[in-house]
Amino acid sequence: MFADNWKISLRQVRRLLILDIFGLSSLQLPGLLSSMTGADGLFSLLLGMAGGGLMLWLIQKNIQNIEGSYYQYMKDAVGQLAGDIFMMFYYLYFITLSGFVLYQAAVLALTWLLPEGSYVWVSILLLFLAGYGTIRGIEGRARVYEIIFWFLGIPLLVMLVLSLAEVHADYWAPVFYSSGLDILKGGVDYWIFLLPLTAILFLKPFCKKSEKIASCGRAALFSVTILNAAIYLILLGVFGTNTMGVLKRPIITLMSMVNLPGGFFTRQDVIMVSVWFFALFALMHTGVFQSTLILKELFHESGSRISMCISLALAFVAGMGFFANSFLAEVYGIYQKWIVLPGMAVILLAAPFAHRARLRVKREKGGEEK
Amino acid sequence: MSVQIVPDLKENMNQFEMLFSDCADIKKRKIKVGQKLERECFIAYIEVAISNVDWKDSAVGKLLQTLRELPEEELVSYVEKNVDDISDSQPFETIEDAAQGMLTGDALFFLDGYAKALKIPDKGYPGRGVYETESEKVIRGSNEGFSESIKLNTALIRKRLRSPHVKVKESFAGRRTNTNVDLVYMKDLIHPGMLEEIEKRLGEFEIDGALDSGIIEQLTEKRKYSPFPQFQTTQRPDRAAMAVLEGRIVLLSDNSPVALILPATYNTFIQTSDDYYSRWEIASFTRMLRYLASFLAMTFPGLYLAMANFHTQILPTDLLLSLAAARQGVPFPAAVEIVLMEVAFELLREAGVRLPGANGNTIGIVGGLIIGQAAVDANIVSPIVVIVVALTALCSFAVPNEEFATAFRILKFAFIFLCGSMGFFGFLIGMLGILIHLSHLESFGIPYLSPFVGADLNGYRDERDTFLRLPLDFLKKRPIYTRDGARTRLKLKHQGKDQ
Repeated sequence: MFADNWKISLRQVRRLLILDIFGLSSLQLPGLLSSMTGADGLFSLLLGMAGGGLMLWLIQKNIQNIEGSYYQYMKDAVGQLAGDIFMMFYYLYFITLSGFVLYQAAVLALTWLLPEGSYVWVSILLLFLAGYGTIRGIEGRARVYEIIFWFLGIPLLVMLVLSLAEVHADYWAPVFYSSGLDILKGGVDYWIFLLPLTAILFLKPFCKKSEKIASCGRAALFSVTILNAAIYLILLGVFGTNTMGVLKRPIITLMSMVNLPGGFFTRQDVIMVSVWFFALFALMHTGVFQSTLILKELFHESGSRISMCISLALAFVAGMGFFANSFLAEVYGIYQKWIVLPGMAVILLAAPFAHRARLRVKREKGGEEK
Repeated sequence: MSVQIVPDLKENMNQFEMLFSDCADIKKRKIKVGQKLERECFIAYIEVAISNVDWKDSAVGKLLQTLRELPEEELVSYVEKNVDDISDSQPFETIEDAAQGMLTGDALFFLDGYAKALKIPDKGYPGRGVYETESEKVIRGSNEGFSESIKLNTALIRKRLRSPHVKVKESFAGRRTNTNVDLVYMKDLIHPGMLEEIEKRLGEFEIDGALDSGIIEQLTEKRKYSPFPQFQTTQRPDRAAMAVLEGRIVLLSDNSPVALILPATYNTFIQTSDDYYSRWEIASFTRMLRYLASFLAMTFPGLYLAMANFHTQILPTDLLLSLAAARQGVPFPAAVEIVLMEVAFELLREAGVRLPGANGNTIGIVGGLIIGQAAVDANIVSPIVVIVVALTALCSFAVPNEEFATAFRILKFAFIFLCGSMGFFGFLIGMLGILIHLSHLESFGIPYLSPFVGADLNGYRDERDTFLRLPLDFLKKRPIYTRDGARTRLKLKHQGKDQ
């Protein structure tokens, strides 16, 4: 009747994307940028946003041509074999992303909420919930993040406003001190955090006003960049470049320092961790959901249980790998920078070209027949 | 195989006797009619369902009186011609149908030479009449409540909605109980798909007895393992009428004072009738309180455990010290204390419900005051735990719908376990699980969390009646349940002008 039609609204897509790219970037980026670029991190953010904008422009070009699913479009544009290879590329990206984010979420929980807990159990619980969320389809998934959006957003904004009292504006200097290369590196790092926006390509068949879906990506990109810039400036103003470079998750440290008026709670970090916990879970869930979707299409599975179980198991293995060996996290960074980012650029460029070439050939053939 | 009613009265009587042998409550009378009292007729009825005292004033009595004044040869033709004039009578052609007609509480009339039986209505089965509703109390508004008679209940809705668009679709449930089930709806407001869906679901089961609407509710629910009800229940005719005005369907079941309303959402369970009778500021304030209550009824004991056992750094030192001092001498861990008190409270509640009225209140006082105080004095539990459990109980009572509140009562124990074993992480896991579950849950195609989710379906207008109940001027449109094109609820004739 009204629901259960596997269709989600633009508002749901927008909120989903915002949560997807906000969680990990706000958690890790300030530390990364501050050690690399200091106060010039803002320029890196702008550069990264430009990269993200370029990627969204390419996504928009692809989306215009998608009629059924993205996989179908790829097959039509570049052929079955290349389409399958490209999809496997996306699969690897999403599954490693979900493993990495699972690792991050579990470590976050173990560090701030459950210091004596077991990593294995925490990650199993998170994957169980991701599986439960995936099995019921995209509508349920979109609704979860639609509803928690302001429950997370309002406390975060309040805390950020309250933390302004601690900001020392002189910590924002010196500007234009870092090298252009460092700023560029920072920009690329931010761009990598924006890669989950490619999920838009897969969401088109599920969106009610699918022709406008790219606008959700733009809205997410702008709002998250503004939020990240604000967070970066506040963190820089509170901690200064040197201290922030040492802190692993400076935003959560900041949350433990902000005092609420009235003083009923002395520390809010435990409560505020929930913002990043939910945001990381959303991204992990996106990874699991997209990889399930890709696997299902690649193997023509009628349901999605087998694909989901395989994806969950692989995400668990990947997460365990990151947890057991910190070197793997470094390898993952290199993989993202040197394989995923250029690979995606190639795919996003190749598909519309190939599609256009095929159309031209078809048109010419049609003309000859006439 | 049905037995046809024949002109021979004796044959009909034999068949009827066979069908109702050993039924002492069914009265069967053979009466002579006609001017010469030479023709026989047969009347059957359930003892208390037909007025014995005012026999002559009843429809049956008046029919008999008329028949005694007519010549014998005209009796059959009189009955045949005047069948529609005799009260609300209904003719039957088979013994089984006639018997079924009598079992609805009416009298059955057979006449020698007439190959049909007539059902002649009278006062029907005994019922309570209209009483004040026990649950869903309101400060402002009607106090009438539904009773066990379905006819009375439909009349109470009809009394409030005097429109020919209000339709009452009748069906039956229960192979042996043959319970009357009515679907009440506003024809021009409901989504036709919704009516089809509930009718389809009603036809999907065959049970021997549907003694209460609760049985129908459970058999027609889609997600049977969810603790959250997918039908809204009410004992208030004004609430039911309000639902009909919103394009929803009210399901009434005979012998049940509880009406089912479909579809239902989290938001509809939090709403009460007087939300719309009171000023919007008051209504909004109490609405927010109820939302908070529904959250705390589920999570408060768990959150206490998480703070007391895992994240003491959140609380100010003074409060932490007073908590520690209160727990001094208590031999159990905080989780055991909470479980003990919660179980004790649930026992008290159950005992209070089962005991007769006055005793039920006594149990509340004995349990709440005496046992609680004694448990604290004996150092079995700390005073703070009593406060936590009492506040949780208050929160669960503040949720206006009993079935809905029960879901939180059950889930409270899950949160106690999660938070007791994993602290705030357990709370987050529990919340995420509940959110995912509720996000998937639907009631007749409407998302359970609507209009917080999927608000775009109705142009984001339904959000004006959620945490806040905006002034009635803002609620010009009906909610999403109403069919497209019929959503205007309020038209202001002097819009934009100062009155």
